[in-house]
Amino acid sequence: MIKLENIHKYYDSQHVLKGIDLNIHEGEVVSILGPSGSGKSTLLRCINFLEQPTSGTVELDSKKVNAESAGKSEVLALRTATGMVFQQYNLFKNLTVLQNVMVGLTSVKQLKKEQAKETSLEILEKVGLSNRLDHYPAQLSGGQQQRVGIARAMALNPKVLLFDEPTSSLDPELVDGVLATIKSVAEEGKTMLIVTHELQFAREISDRVVFMEDGLIVEEGMPDQMFNYAKMERTNQFLKRSKRSEE
Amino acid sequence: MENLLDISFIIESFPTILSRLPITIGIAVGSMVISLFIGLATALIKIYKVPVLSVITSIYVSFIRGTPLLVQIYLVFYGIPKVIYYLQIEYGVLLSADVNSISPEMYALMAFSINLGAYLSETIRSAIESVDRGQFEAAKAIGMSPVQMMTKIIFPQALTVAIPNLGNMFISTIKDTSLVFIIGVVDVMGQAKILGSRGLAFFEVYIAVSIVYWILCIVVERLLVRLEKRARRYERGIA
Ligand SMILES: Nc1ncnc2c1ncn2[C@@H]1O[C@H](COP(=O)(O)OP(=O)(O)O)[C@@H](O)[C@H]1O
Ligand SMILES: [Mg+2]
Repeated sequence: MIKLENIHKYYDSQHVLKGIDLNIHEGEVVSILGPSGSGKSTLLRCINFLEQPTSGTVELDSKKVNAESAGKSEVLALRTATGMVFQQYNLFKNLTVLQNVMVGLTSVKQLKKEQAKETSLEILEKVGLSNRLDHYPAQLSGGQQQRVGIARAMALNPKVLLFDEPTSSLDPELVDGVLATIKSVAEEGKTMLIVTHELQFAREISDRVVFMEDGLIVEEGMPDQMFNYAKMERTNQFLKRSKRSEE
Repeated sequence: MENLLDISFIIESFPTILSRLPITIGIAVGSMVISLFIGLATALIKIYKVPVLSVITSIYVSFIRGTPLLVQIYLVFYGIPKVIYYLQIEYGVLLSADVNSISPEMYALMAFSINLGAYLSETIRSAIESVDRGQFEAAKAIGMSPVQMMTKIIFPQALTVAIPNLGNMFISTIKDTSLVFIIGVVDVMGQAKILGSRGLAFFEVYIAVSIVYWILCIVVERLLVRLEKRARRYERGIA
């Protein structure tokens, strides 16, 4: 359903993505692992054109967008068909919880207020925040904020959800709640692409694990296969080191 | 016995001076509102580095900051009618504008808007730039257009940041409006001058008018504190 072909990204002269090909099927959950600086965030951000890829194509639902010639309406279509969850939550600080979820529906989808509210309430119920509707982000814990972030990303009913280290900014005791929320969304059959350092979680939730290094996908496979016998020495080292730091 | 002050003259002059308060407030509030739009537009021109316009904006801001307000008021008062007249004669445009019907109050409003707009431009630009990049990204990621992103997310946050600065500028503007009598506007100050020369009691009327400005500024300051509290309510953390 999502198909990335030969994505390259340069920041000035720095070659950050060096030809990424990735195919994700409907309902599939794919985790991206890899050392910091390997280009994982950049890859996610190229999918919704928060960063414009230098070259390559992004295909979503058989609509193909060429990085070099992408027009406004194509980019908009990609952005409404994807939902993004940020490491730093990035909730709209001037809006309440309910408004954060509603704003995309009322402004981007131009739904009537009542309709947007109804949808938003349903989603907030799912992430367990129905009792915080009128709170502002600053009045929430990190875990609550991130669950609102997930609700906001889901509001426009995107084809795919993109998670960029959704639990990396959280206090350890809040991580599990957010992971559980992500899991429950995955169980509904949402297509997901998740950058994470939570190996155990990645293993449980993913249909496929992708390992990135230095701007390239160096290995991919089923989670058990990757975690037990990764082919590449480099992948093994990374997994071992991460496991150790998790304990 | 020689009196330092004719207190009763001060007291008697208040009602007449206060009757001109709407002019003073009108020019201050009106130019604040107009200049907010000028400030926003020029700030965006600078942020998005719009070609040509951003050069014009730089020159505008630099000129206004580099010349006295008094001179700017004269430039507007004498310049705008000439320019309009010239355009009418040479190009046949703006024919419906009757130069003679533009009131001194209108010129004052224009001059103050142009002046304040330049100062607000910088304030608003830095306020917009102070908004966390993540807010822009989140807005883009859900598919907001630049206009939606700005009006719903960025401006509200930027204005909140800018309120203390905007408030100070507004208070300065209230006081600066005392210059408008020079182009024939009878504002609070203009009225005081008239009263003073009529009764040959300048010291008295200037005491009266300074009290008027002082109280006005105190009231405005109070209101601004409340406004800021209201605007910042979303920043308060877990109670
Ligand atoms: N906006 C940017 N401007 C310049 N360089 C960037 C930018 N974003 C990321 N980079 C660089 O691109 C590389 C990959 O970054 P990133 O995609 O964030 O990696 P990861 O998410 O895997 O840690 C890093 O070297 C980083 O410094
Ligand atoms: Mg990253």
